[in-house]
Amino acid sequence: MRTEEPWVSSTELSPAGRKAPGWRRALAPGWLRVPWMTALFFGIGLGIVVGIRALAGWDPVWDWRAITTVATLTTAPIGFLAGIGAFDYWVRYAIGSPTAPEDHSSHGAYSWRDYFRVNTDHKVIGIQYVSTTIFFFLAGGLLAMMVRAELAQPGTQFFDSQTYNGLFSVHASLMIFLFVIPAFAGLANYVIPLMIGAPDMAFPRLNALSFWLLPIAGIMMLSSFLVPGGAFGAGWTGYAPLSVVGTDGNIFFNMGVQWAGASSIMTALNFLVTIITMRAPGMTFWRMPLLVWANFTTSLLVVVATPFIAGSQFFVLFDRVMHTNFFLPGDGGYTLAYQHIFWFYSHPAVYIMMLPGFGIASEVISVMARKPIFGYRLMALSLMAILVLGFSVWAHHMFVSGMATYLRVPMMITTLLIAVPTGIKVFSWLATLWEGKLNLSTPMLWALGFVSMFVIGGLSGIYLGAVPIDIAVSDTYFVVAHIHYVLLGGSLFTIFAGIYYWFPKMTGRQYSERLGKTHFWLTFVGFNLTFFPMHLIGVQGMPRRVADYDPQFGDWNLFISISSFLLGASFIVFVYNMIVSWARGPAAEANPWRAMTLEWQVSSPPPIFNFDEIPQVVGNPYEYGVPGARHALLNGDQAAVEERERVRAR
Amino acid sequence: MRRGAILSLVAIGLIVGAAVTAVAVLVDWLPEQASKERERIDFVFWFTTAICIAIFALVAAVMLYAVVKFRARPDDDSDGRPIHGHTGLEIAWTAVPAVLVTGIAIVSTVALAQNDRSSGTPMSIEVTARQFAWSFKYLDEQDLTSTTLRLPVDQPVKLTLKASDVIHSFWVKEFGQKQDAVPGMVTTLRITPTKVGRFSVICTELCGLGHAFMRSKAVVMERAQYEQWISEQRQALNGSPGQAGKAVFAQNSCGGCHTFTPAGSKSEVGPNLDRLAAQAKGPGQPLEQFVRESIVKPDAYVERGFSADLMPETYDQLPKDQLDALVQYLTSPASPKKSKKEGR
Repeated sequence: MRTEEPWVSSTELSPAGRKAPGWRRALAPGWLRVPWMTALFFGIGLGIVVGIRALAGWDPVWDWRAITTVATLTTAPIGFLAGIGAFDYWVRYAIGSPTAPEDHSSHGAYSWRDYFRVNTDHKVIGIQYVSTTIFFFLAGGLLAMMVRAELAQPGTQFFDSQTYNGLFSVHASLMIFLFVIPAFAGLANYVIPLMIGAPDMAFPRLNALSFWLLPIAGIMMLSSFLVPGGAFGAGWTGYAPLSVVGTDGNIFFNMGVQWAGASSIMTALNFLVTIITMRAPGMTFWRMPLLVWANFTTSLLVVVATPFIAGSQFFVLFDRVMHTNFFLPGDGGYTLAYQHIFWFYSHPAVYIMMLPGFGIASEVISVMARKPIFGYRLMALSLMAILVLGFSVWAHHMFVSGMATYLRVPMMITTLLIAVPTGIKVFSWLATLWEGKLNLSTPMLWALGFVSMFVIGGLSGIYLGAVPIDIAVSDTYFVVAHIHYVLLGGSLFTIFAGIYYWFPKMTGRQYSERLGKTHFWLTFVGFNLTFFPMHLIGVQGMPRRVADYDPQFGDWNLFISISSFLLGASFIVFVYNMIVSWARGPAAEANPWRAMTLEWQVSSPPPIFNFDEIPQVVGNPYEYGVPGARHALLNGDQAAVEERERVRAR
Repeated sequence: MRRGAILSLVAIGLIVGAAVTAVAVLVDWLPEQASKERERIDFVFWFTTAICIAIFALVAAVMLYAVVKFRARPDDDSDGRPIHGHTGLEIAWTAVPAVLVTGIAIVSTVALAQNDRSSGTPMSIEVTARQFAWSFKYLDEQDLTSTTLRLPVDQPVKLTLKASDVIHSFWVKEFGQKQDAVPGMVTTLRITPTKVGRFSVICTELCGLGHAFMRSKAVVMERAQYEQWISEQRQALNGSPGQAGKAVFAQNSCGGCHTFTPAGSKSEVGPNLDRLAAQAKGPGQPLEQFVRESIVKPDAYVERGFSADLMPETYDQLPKDQLDALVQYLTSPASPKKSKKEGR
């Protein structure tokens, strides 16, 4: 029986079958249309390149570098998207043929197959996002394990330099562009419409498209290992001119970033419009949960900053494929321009990878401490302060780069000033714990783990912000330790807090608390054993991005490698818990955490359009412990709404 | 807040602070100090560390206290006390961190300004970074070049850095100072060595496949020894042509890649220089012209079995007299074993 499936909400039944008969199925959107459409579009791209070169009389006509860029990495993915059905509605609309009547057949998921289709339901898309990003997280994690295996001993053991450089470059790129950024987007995709009392995102089809760009970007980056010459090996930062003169695998990074970036921008626009226009009645900005605030600020950052990395990667690509000279000094290029443009995105990107985590931590800590979040308005304003300051600090990545020396002190001051709004957040979370009734459930453990690890990452950030120290430790393992405390202890911990916190809502099942806590402690211990010693060997002088190193660091590296395998193994517990609990876990209640925000006021999983009736928001979202306080009035509370109106009218 | 809570917080904070201070003090964190700049950097490091320990102890104390003290019993479904905020506290934890980071910024700025200046007249050395080697040219010593950096102790040095292919970064951890060498730009770095010794020069900016192996040595010597080294090198350069050529060969580490019996080198990364006469027949040039061109424009003719781009194109910067000496050294019939080798 379909209704027994955990993902079917009780009020909905499967729509009528959509399968067309016989060969016509290959014309309908879906996986049968994907292969031939991809091939067709690859052919179009190939034809454009070869045709133009033949007509212009350029030699060689079959320039595989240009063909790879245009056909393999641009038009074939468009063919894939067309095949899977991401454009059907728009194409019909554009050519004036009747669009399919909206029967909501692309809403909801009734079997596992629905997760492999273009689906416009934000709840399905959210789960698609989270599952896909976890896949790439595991792939990136395996690459990290290979890096650590190589580093366990000084000298080269398993990989040659090219392979090793590819390993850490693809590892970082996957973790940043295919895990942290989209994992937050995925969780927010699921939760934000529910939290603000909306039936879906503002642009559901755009939402679906932005998800389907992700696997393209991820597979592109992974498949760069198959390129003759090897994967891109200039690091995730891809500094020119090394990325221009390095292997052709760099093209896969240049273009992968475009697809992932486009996905990011589309989702951010969608969040902005959704949050601005689709809040339930009574949901003023100052009544929004902090996760909504966090994603609002993050989306502003994404929309403004992401085009810069797109630009930087296009320039590198053009230098290689079209023989332009943006960064090669011999012909008038300016090498440092790359770093300025790149970091103008990539520093705000650090906040793109942090702010949603701040939001998740605020949700979880307030609910699990059974207290209002401390200093709600200052919490929201500090997000905005980080947003503004975040755009004025990019050159702190370039203190030793040879940029204009007068830029260093101002950039140091803005960098250090970011510690102030960040400090406000940390102290406010701590104050929220004070005199609370802490429920140390799995999400709370991850949230508290996040606060403590993020403090260490923030403090090591102060060292790196101070120019003289940065000059000494820049490009050493101290930086590696710092970014892993921020992005692993910070972002990853909050992503897990979010996944465990909303797992009952998303799947309608309860995960195993015992396994969840085991996962937390294994990760927490493995993480600290792996990354804390990196501060030490970094300060002592071990450079980053090397396969071979001074034997004086041998013992610590062996210790770090062994610890990292423990850290890697801890995620087996997570994957096992998620799969088994989703398939066979006990049914979840609508509101297992006794939370006030709107997503918990509907069934688990929520009805297909989230709310049977539009909720009326009447108060703040975190009024735990306040007698009689309500955040919103939902179904059946109509009498209460009218009563309130009457009182107000008097 | 009860007095008991405050006392507990202070106690936990002191214990955590003491533990972290022990880690900071007992573990040997920083590399040896071998320059004035490193000493200033280390001062900023410890200044920042003191502030960070205080903040960490505070956070850890509150966190530990809260987790132990405010943990709900399993049957307790009640809520905490609804505290929405506290203006005084919020002002305090905005203002105090602002003051602390301002302090760090001021100390850093002063240290940076001092490290950007040399006390006294610096000697000038031009550093050329290329995949995957360093070369140092002594601008005050007739452009003498060397692949190891030799410095007199207590003498301020101004390094001007150039890169001939991609970005590299010069770092000697005991000196502290680090600077990228960027193609198309000249960057500078100032160092005043304070200790005699041998230190590693490493590249800290990912520069390609040989990045991990792009290492050299910085040798800090007593003034007298340094003068002696310089005069030896000079003498060799100004001595008989064969002697000068041998010195240029050694200073540029030609033997790092090439076999050349008179110099006693046996490496096989590049073509065997014992067989130059035979190789010159490839492009059909006179021997001397062939050798000269192969040094300054290595890819003009590439010997079979070797790839282009292997040899750096930076030797066109050799001063003319040194180049002449090198060419003469390589083509000189005085190398007795050469003809024997050629016979193989």
